Amino acid sequence: MREDPIQARIENLKPEDFNKAIKIFKDHINQDYAASLDSCVHCGLCAEACHYYLVDKDEKSLPAYKLSLVTKIFKRYFSFMGKKAPKWIGAEDFDKDVVREWIDSLFGRCSLCGRCFLNCTMGINITYLIRTARGVLATMGLVPTGLQSTVDTALEKGNNMGISKDDWLETVEWLEEELQQDMNDPQANLPVDRKGAKILYTINPREAMFFPLSIAAVGKIFYAVGESWTFSSENFDVTNYGLYSGDDDAAGIMSKRLVRSVQELGCEKLILAECGHGFNSNRWEAPEWLNQKYDFEVKSILQLVADYLREGKIRLDPSKNPKKTTLHDPCNLVRLGGVIEEQRYLLKKSVKNFVEMTPNREKNYCCGGGGGQLAMTRFAERRIRVGRLKADQVKATGAEVVAIPCHNCIDQFMELNKHYKMGIEIKTVCEIVADALVI
Amino acid sequence: MQLTFLEYGILLALFVAIFSLVILIKKTFKYGRKKLRSEPQGRELNGIFYAFGQGMLPWAKESAAKHLPTYIGGIFYHAGLFTAFFYVFLGLFRLPVSGPLLVIFQIILGLGILFGIGLFIKRISVSTLRKISCPDDYCANVLVDIFIVLALLDTMLGGIRPVLSTITIVVLLYMPAGKIRHCFFFFYSRILFGMFFGRRKVLGHKHTEGRA
Repeated sequence: MREDPIQARIENLKPEDFNKAIKIFKDHINQDYAASLDSCVHCGLCAEACHYYLVDKDEKSLPAYKLSLVTKIFKRYFSFMGKKAPKWIGAEDFDKDVVREWIDSLFGRCSLCGRCFLNCTMGINITYLIRTARGVLATMGLVPTGLQSTVDTALEKGNNMGISKDDWLETVEWLEEELQQDMNDPQANLPVDRKGAKILYTINPREAMFFPLSIAAVGKIFYAVGESWTFSSENFDVTNYGLYSGDDDAAGIMSKRLVRSVQELGCEKLILAECGHGFNSNRWEAPEWLNQKYDFEVKSILQLVADYLREGKIRLDPSKNPKKTTLHDPCNLVRLGGVIEEQRYLLKKSVKNFVEMTPNREKNYCCGGGGGQLAMTRFAERRIRVGRLKADQVKATGAEVVAIPCHNCIDQFMELNKHYKMGIEIKTVCEIVADALVI
Repeated sequence: MQLTFLEYGILLALFVAIFSLVILIKKTFKYGRKKLRSEPQGRELNGIFYAFGQGMLPWAKESAAKHLPTYIGGIFYHAGLFTAFFYVFLGLFRLPVSGPLLVIFQIILGLGILFGIGLFIKRISVSTLRKISCPDDYCANVLVDIFIVLALLDTMLGGIRPVLSTITIVVLLYMPAGKIRHCFFFFYSRILFGMFFGRRKVLGHKHTEGRA
């Protein structure tokens, strides 16, 4: 049997490694986090907010328990009582056992979906505290292999799938030909590196590799509007797995690339593909990682297309999408991102029969694919198991099509579809809009 | 107005509690706050209003809706605690509580005890709560329960002021050391909650189509 590199690394940890980790932990804490780490009253009301707990009923999946794994270290090293009477307030030394539990619980039982944060009686941002602890593990080299590899690939190759520039350009060229045929217009194009374009559009590299139709759909919408836009030949990746590994430095490097491309191409807007964590990363977190106020607008493609529809720049015919359609709300886009109504607006105008899941919007359940779960094969079985909640939610709607504005979620749904025999068709919102376009 | 030795003790304990809390808050704020750079989509203030208003209502918060008895229990428990403190401090200023006000006090204190004990039983009997509890959780609950019981007894029987004063001192001194410190952190956490979701325009939005 192959040795688990993480286990080997844990076994080799020395006291000085823990001391260093505690120092890094302190560096990661600001006053908001410090207050939050002191706020949990252990009421346990957060239990049912977590899809892991709802499915597994495992006490280790309780949000309050996961948070306690972080607070116990904070209290032990940074509070008076934690130093004097640690057991009394549940404080504990940072040691190998705690590290093992951090990896299992904070990486393996949390998708950073923010539902516990939304439902916490005290209002504690459990999500970002868990991410902070992940960041400490990242500096110790203890991020589960698959997730770290995704970050490393993005840092080394410029995108998380390691797509070469030539392959990317070839894909765009092929999609452009398809668009020209589809529109019966040899002038229809998918521009790359067009200086002075108003919009820089980014994609999830998975689209280029496995789901080119979603790129084609956006190209078709831009064509219908006559938008001034461009791809970047170098920096086209909207994803940022630094959000999930907790590594702010790596996350900053990835976000900086997009900023650089916007500036070099002279664009006014950075438009982000249907990617939940990519949206949260680049819209909300990147300016904080880079400590930089952006001088250009950052929007989701959903917000932009909803603007087109409102302004009458596109016309839609819902009869072109007759199947009963429901919508999944990706956590990073909706609950943590604030893009809530636009996708509904678009779908109600694009499909004949739209039905909501229950619960929905910011209260929606995570599908289980976020938080880097899809990249961490060691937790794959657990991820599929807790995805049952989402599968049941979809089945209850009786929908034949699920619109999913996030490629991480799409990957998870594809597995859930197979595993739970959901028999659903999976599409992005823009694919559905493009199908309904009246050109 | 001549204060007794124990009443001076209460004032001293109050001073120590406030002083310690201030130190704790100062220590917390010393970590510093980073100025946010991302362009807000909504107003933080709206989020804060939501956090302390609509967002506290059980139908707005799933965790409260699914645990309604605990939610209601928590409200009465805290009301009992505040009433007990209020009663003790009125006594310090020799302000007598009588008539209908006394009855109201007794009802709130009685409900506070009932739910306080209920929450304690829940904490020791529900395995998920035991999993996340530490001695401080049990101690804080028992201390507050005893405090409210003694306050109620004093309103009914009188003559146990020295015992009530003593437990008041203990509760006040324990406040900054254990979980009762959330009397401050609750407000700060809710403000942060409101700021986060208000800024991103996630909560309290009308379900309008198009632009949220």
